[in-house]
Amino acid sequence: MAYVLRRLAISIGLIWTVATLIFLVLRMIPGDPAELLLSSGGVAPDPAQVLELRERLGLEAPLLQQYASFIGQLLRLDLGTSLTDDYPVMDEIAKRLPRTIELILAATILAVAIGMPLGVVAALRRGSGMDRTLSAVASFNQSLPVFVTGTLLILVFAQQLRWVPAGGYVAFAQDPARHLTNLLMPAVTIAIGLSTVVFRMTRASVLETLDRDWVRTARAKGLASRHVVRRHVLRNSLGPVVTVIGLQMGTLLGGTVLVEYVFNWPGLSGYLVRAVEQRNYPEVQGIVLVICALFVFLNLVVDLLYAVLDPRVRHG
Amino acid sequence: MTNDTRNAAALSRRGFIGAGAAAAFAATSVAERASAQGRDRLVFALSSYPPSLRPWANTGTAAGTAKCQFLRGLLSYGPKGEIRGELAESWRSDGPTTWTLRLREGVRFHDGEALTPDAVRRSFELMQDEKSTASLRGAFGALIDRIEAPDARSVRFQLKKPSATFVYMLASWHAPMISPKSNEANPVGAGPYRIVDVERGTRIDFDAFDGYWNKGLPKTRKLRMAAYADENLRVAALDAGDVDIIEYVPWQSYESIERNAKLAMDIVDGPFMYLNFNCAQGPFTNAKLRQAVAYAIRREDVVKAAFFGRGSAMNGLPFPKGSEFRDEATANHWRTDLDLARKLLAEGGQPSGFSCKLLSTAQYGMHKDTAEVVQQSLAAIGIRVELVLPDWATRVAVGNRGQYDFGVMGSAGDFNDPDSMAQFLDGSQTPNYTRSHGYNNPKVNELFEQGRAELDVAKRKAIYREMEKLALEDAALVGVAWRSQAYAMRKPLSGFANLPGFLSFYSGLTLENVSMG
Repeated sequence: MAYVLRRLAISIGLIWTVATLIFLVLRMIPGDPAELLLSSGGVAPDPAQVLELRERLGLEAPLLQQYASFIGQLLRLDLGTSLTDDYPVMDEIAKRLPRTIELILAATILAVAIGMPLGVVAALRRGSGMDRTLSAVASFNQSLPVFVTGTLLILVFAQQLRWVPAGGYVAFAQDPARHLTNLLMPAVTIAIGLSTVVFRMTRASVLETLDRDWVRTARAKGLASRHVVRRHVLRNSLGPVVTVIGLQMGTLLGGTVLVEYVFNWPGLSGYLVRAVEQRNYPEVQGIVLVICALFVFLNLVVDLLYAVLDPRVRHG
Repeated sequence: MTNDTRNAAALSRRGFIGAGAAAAFAATSVAERASAQGRDRLVFALSSYPPSLRPWANTGTAAGTAKCQFLRGLLSYGPKGEIRGELAESWRSDGPTTWTLRLREGVRFHDGEALTPDAVRRSFELMQDEKSTASLRGAFGALIDRIEAPDARSVRFQLKKPSATFVYMLASWHAPMISPKSNEANPVGAGPYRIVDVERGTRIDFDAFDGYWNKGLPKTRKLRMAAYADENLRVAALDAGDVDIIEYVPWQSYESIERNAKLAMDIVDGPFMYLNFNCAQGPFTNAKLRQAVAYAIRREDVVKAAFFGRGSAMNGLPFPKGSEFRDEATANHWRTDLDLARKLLAEGGQPSGFSCKLLSTAQYGMHKDTAEVVQQSLAAIGIRVELVLPDWATRVAVGNRGQYDFGVMGSAGDFNDPDSMAQFLDGSQTPNYTRSHGYNNPKVNELFEQGRAELDVAKRKAIYREMEKLALEDAALVGVAWRSQAYAMRKPLSGFANLPGFLSFYSGLTLENVSMG
């Protein structure tokens, strides 16, 4: 319990640090949101109009006052409103975050379904033709940038075969089948790279476990090979794999930008990029903080899962 | 061990087969859906999701295209770019400072409110309100003295000074009328469509407004505007049949679309690329050096590199082709002439060249590619150019503050009239990243003022000839290339028109004429 509380306190401190850093960094980089908003279309913004807009948006107040107001809002779990159309940032994140999480989960399930069994197979047949082939394919997949994979998938499955739409998003409630088909290609695109990571990690971890004395002992006492692999090897090998998957999922929270862009998937990453382009301070702050909080949360979950999978951590 | 391996492999195979079956099922479902997508809904792919749908703020082309579906002004443009009556059926000048507009009978907003002279006056008052974000706030404020209502269907604008461009301002998509029962934050318009659903950041769904003044329009009952920020995906979505029309067709895709029997394109030369300079400090305070740059650029290479050959060299000021104000001789003033460029460098006190920084942006390929060709062109006469390529937001901030030597810009005039060049050349206006920093030629400013106040076309032509001569000497706006601007659409579709010249961006106005069959 004390461990969990300590971890929580560290997490809150981390989130506060990130909030302060993002607040400062945004105000240090060039580009004024009011000026940018009023300069759209190449028109000359009236300085008085820029000043009025800055005042309305609270950007004219002293930095400390802005910071205090920002932290005050955070404590009330209020992320503010968009500078462009006053839309509540929390509402937009609440809409987009599930889409990104859905994309990441779908990709992870695919990646695990592909990478883990193949990793086990490669480890059990270490040095065989299949092992070498799988490793070569994994290297190839890892070297493929997602925008190349994504574009190729669009070309083949949307433009040539016309099996799926080229991109876009339809809410599940509106049309479940269309929703899932829209999800398929971006999820596969991420899964191709992610499955390589899962494959490599599983293979390495299983290989390491196979060399352990207790595996030899299990075999020596006559346990069936299937039983040894499932109950002894796999269970002891999955800890590092789960850790890596958790970290990868955390990274993907802010790292699905290209896939969301290529497939027009309206998730959190795309929202962040647009917010940065527009210097939309409340949006950038809100998204970064939510990603940070989720990352911290995921790390906690991974630690707990690790403890569940490996009793030594629980008792250690 | 072998058994386990087999088992694991079998599991994997099952996974693959399952996933494949699911994909095939889903794909079939979508294929059926795509072919069944009714012809009663037009899907337009925007190049970005509108940052805001506030009626009078200028938040870019995508926002303008979406806004003009549900908001309309007193005047607008027809398919050939001609000014046409919109909520007003006619307009006339009753003297140099008086414009009277006759409102159409029975025009109603989407909430059922009638368009009256009072409603018109209220919209203009809101636009000029000190807290308004209207892009024309300053322009209308400087021009309109008062708005009168001579009768129940007429509106009379008394101006503070004569204006030949007032009608263009009324036709701007940044000057729509809103219902007297709505406000800037939640506007209700009188356009051909009304908004029925919005998925912020993704799409806007419209339904035809049955009370639209132009009976029989819009021809397609439902309209969806979906944002496709990736230009290649826009083309792929059109090809795959996900959307019916796309804007900002990327130049590299022109050829494949032209070869595709199912697709059509409507192309005009509208926007343009140009160079602006820091005339307040640095090497380009010297007009001779600006002229040297103007004569050294290989404009055809810019057209090839940045626009895949889809455009043309712009050797002078941005008088659009076909404009009655364009003079072909002066339009080709800055033809590439390296000897003359070197001579001008010497006259400018820099015979062996100099070093300078060129501001552009890496965010847009056409800006970056143009900058690279300019850099290479100038190396031939000894000007060593360092490229500065920040993101767009930084480029705007740096440009507005004049923190650059010279810069690449792309733009278009607000309307097809030489006065639209004032934003690039009139130094009496607020400093802006689109205009050379510190450039202020009082004679040029005065000529723009005269041209604006003169209603006689022949006299206006003479005024702009003189302005052009001075501006070419000053070389504060150096034309580089006209770029083609295209919309692409699926073949059965008809009625859409790409408006000529600078008005290309207003082409969304013609969506009301589009039929799918």
